[in-house]
Amino acid sequence: MDKPRSNQEWFEALSNQDVQQGEALEEIRRLLLRAALYTLVTHLSDLQEMSEEERLALAEECAQEALMAVLARLGDFRGDSKFTTWAYKFGVNIALSRARRWRWKQVSLDDLADDDGTLNWFQRDERFQTADSEQPVRQKEVVEVIREVLRTQLTPRQRQTLKLIAFDDVPMDVVVQRLDSNRNAVYKLLHDARLKIKQQLVRRGYDLAEVMDLFQ
Amino acid sequence: MMKTNLAKFVRHVHDTQDTEISCSVCLDLVSQYVDLEISTGDATIQLPLVKQHLDQCLVCSEEYQVLHQLAVLEAEQRLPTDEELMNQLKK
Repeated sequence: MDKPRSNQEWFEALSNQDVQQGEALEEIRRLLLRAALYTLVTHLSDLQEMSEEERLALAEECAQEALMAVLARLGDFRGDSKFTTWAYKFGVNIALSRARRWRWKQVSLDDLADDDGTLNWFQRDERFQTADSEQPVRQKEVVEVIREVLRTQLTPRQRQTLKLIAFDDVPMDVVVQRLDSNRNAVYKLLHDARLKIKQQLVRRGYDLAEVMDLFQ
Repeated sequence: MMKTNLAKFVRHVHDTQDTEISCSVCLDLVSQYVDLEISTGDATIQLPLVKQHLDQCLVCSEEYQVLHQLAVLEAEQRLPTDEELMNQLKK
């Protein structure tokens, strides 16, 4: 077995336009295909309606797209991880995003829209039944605070995004695609929403550790 | 016990920080995080913001888990062959 390339050898081989670059490109393409195949195998449940040929074609597409990402971002490689780990992350990221979108492509998010204004979705699976008789009362108080923040301090887009991702289990990549947005923007929507709720709970004198314990 | 979405959400609210890194920054750092975990075990200490993001973001966390598996298998020279993976993918 050949000795694995060092980080420096990978970087130089892929950067220089010579015969070594061709060999390195073929080697990294092969490794990225393996990463894409491995990733898809770990998420076969997302690909249930996909034929064998489509699955293999998807892996090839993901490997090719990952190769493009590796070459485009090569200048960002700082050597603080193994080169292959750095490269694999693009293959994993692309393959999982594609798998999630495939699984959800037939689902209309309109059916999950929060259009009744009741905001019941965020507590629909709660029973508030515990051995401690005080606990359900405290849980309901907290739920009311959260409901109020949702209603009065979040934008409709924040509320909708929060509902889809945190309560309907829609993958963020699917929401990003349907909103024609990007992960950073959607993550910020969620972060801002969480922060507003946290700040309101603190402002009203709740101990956040106790609040968390109430629901665990 | 299976946690409800509300219970998970309350935990995420509890763990929310004023400033959190974005998914792009997480993707930038996750390979370093994974290799630190494998080599020194102190990734959480060296890159706490990555750990915080992974705890909040399910899609990034799923990608981290697969990347971690791949890196471990590669380090142990136990990566399945393409043929093995293709056969599994056809199932």
